[in-house]
Amino acid sequence: MFFHIVLERNMQLHPRYFGRNLRDNLVSKLMKDVEGTCSGRHGFVVAVTGIENIGKGLIRDGTGFVTFPVKYQCVVFRPFKGEILEAVVTMVNKMGFFAEAGPVQIFVSNHLIPDDMEFQSGDIPNYTTSDGSVKIQKDSEVRLKIIGTRVDATEIFCIGTIKDDFLGVINDPTTV
Amino acid sequence: MSVVTDSPVHSSSSDDFAAYINAALDASSPEALSDKDVENQDEFESVSRIKRRKFESIKETEGSTLEGTVKDNLAVAETSVEVDACTHPGSFGNMCIRCGQKLDGESGVTFGYIHKGLRLHDAEISRLRNTDIKNLLHHKKLYLILDLDHTLLNSTHLGHLSSEELHLLNQTDSLEDVSKGSIFKLEFMHMMTKLRPFVRTFLKEASEMFEMYIYTMGDRPYALEMAKLLDPQGEYFNAKIISRDDGTQKHQKGLDVVLGQESAVLILDDTEHAWMKHKDNLIVMERYHFFASSCRQFGFNCKSLAELKNDENENEGALTKILEVLKQVHSTFFDGLQEDLVGRDVRQVLKSVRKDVLSGCVIVFSRIIHSALPTLQKMARQMGATCLAELDPSVTHVVGTDAGTEKSRWAVKENKFLVHPRWIEAANYFWQKQPEENFALKKKHY
Repeated sequence: MFFHIVLERNMQLHPRYFGRNLRDNLVSKLMKDVEGTCSGRHGFVVAVTGIENIGKGLIRDGTGFVTFPVKYQCVVFRPFKGEILEAVVTMVNKMGFFAEAGPVQIFVSNHLIPDDMEFQSGDIPNYTTSDGSVKIQKDSEVRLKIIGTRVDATEIFCIGTIKDDFLGVINDPTTV
Repeated sequence: MSVVTDSPVHSSSSDDFAAYINAALDASSPEALSDKDVENQDEFESVSRIKRRKFESIKETEGSTLEGTVKDNLAVAETSVEVDACTHPGSFGNMCIRCGQKLDGESGVTFGYIHKGLRLHDAEISRLRNTDIKNLLHHKKLYLILDLDHTLLNSTHLGHLSSEELHLLNQTDSLEDVSKGSIFKLEFMHMMTKLRPFVRTFLKEASEMFEMYIYTMGDRPYALEMAKLLDPQGEYFNAKIISRDDGTQKHQKGLDVVLGQESAVLILDDTEHAWMKHKDNLIVMERYHFFASSCRQFGFNCKSLAELKNDENENEGALTKILEVLKQVHSTFFDGLQEDLVGRDVRQVLKSVRKDVLSGCVIVFSRIIHSALPTLQKMARQMGATCLAELDPSVTHVVGTDAGTEKSRWAVKENKFLVHPRWIEAANYFWQKQPEENFALKKKHY
């Protein structure tokens, strides 16, 4: 799920950036620092959308660096247990398949793939129903349900299932 | 209530009861509680205490034997057990791959080469192997594990190129389209890699008979880079590249991280002792030394192929020969379709194919260094030859290093083959009896 929230961060700025562009430098450094990172509490920071306020800088003794407390608005993405997500399949093998929803890695084991879908090895490994009407392979888009999440300092792992109503392939790369 | 009338009912219900208790104890969630106990629940906070209470409450009613109630309880317990009794077949990022529950501790075998954070338990591995083997045999395929260095290619550090090899730096093929080249300079890894002649045809043809893995003692980035050279389209080794970082034992390669049944795996490697536990699956390759540094590493002081501006012959190199062997093993394995394929063992097939190589040969060894003799004898026997200790009219070959010994002279006199031990080693590498003339021992002229 996406959230638009306000976060705070103490930014250290090198004295060479002090000048009339100080604010711009601070903002671009903030974007470089936080976008794409992940925190256990909030999930992935997708984009910084605005600055709420920049507090008074504090000069560090000895180094000359200045610390600014910055409050900023950003879009974060955090998967939840029970959430329905759409994801792109990145790898298919006999254990199941791996999919990505943005930065989130999701594994759907073959226990959680409907029983009528069977693994087919070959050049393009895939899971196919016996009548061949539905096929999951690399680059397929699937709708899945998250049944477990674990958020690390730098990445988020999820376990997903497609063994439920209205879950499964939503877009097949071969038919496009 | 008389004891006599009561006892049969009692015993049957206590059987049910024991089962129920077991089931209830397995189920860790409070949903396992039956309706009947709901009234007692509030006073007890911990699940275990609730269970004990339940135990008691049932005991109380036991005398009157409300079998129906017990059965109801059982049914409730069973359904909740079904939900909870996940065996946790494996984990991904420390979560069970089946129920999503967080698992502590790191158990099971890591399959980092497939995806970071993936682990599987033995039971799941064998389940996957079992389903996979049926699928694979249905497609008439087996597993083939390939080693990289000295088997499919030869790499050297750029700094280790000898002065006579420096001309190669100008001959490297472009990395844009690797599918046509055979010698590459990987600047960022400071490596120069030469693919073994015939390797592309080999992989193409082998991929029709085998599901192929790469298993190398190199590290992971190196393995991936080499796979890119060998398989630029990613059609052969999709997520089946195992490096030393993925193995479970140091300095050993093992099939435990391979999701294939051992009875259907063939291994191609130049280093026999890396596969201590799986010698029966192994086809030992003749080492490919293209670069001088690689020759030196194995203690050869001759000129390298690169220095001689030479290379293995496309049509007679080791890979060509081994492909023939693989084809033979494959066709023998799948010979006679209808029979139970799952019960077959490729190791037996390999053994029997090997037995044909020198079948009919009767060998006597003459003046071989003691330490080398057992290996040679074993090799010869594996290839179906008979080894004798003493001369005998049935002997066909005398193997020795000196033409002057009594046995050697006997061989010359009786018009038997007198060959160097290399004749056996060559047959072992090429899986074919080699022409004796090429290995004949000449009498030294004093």
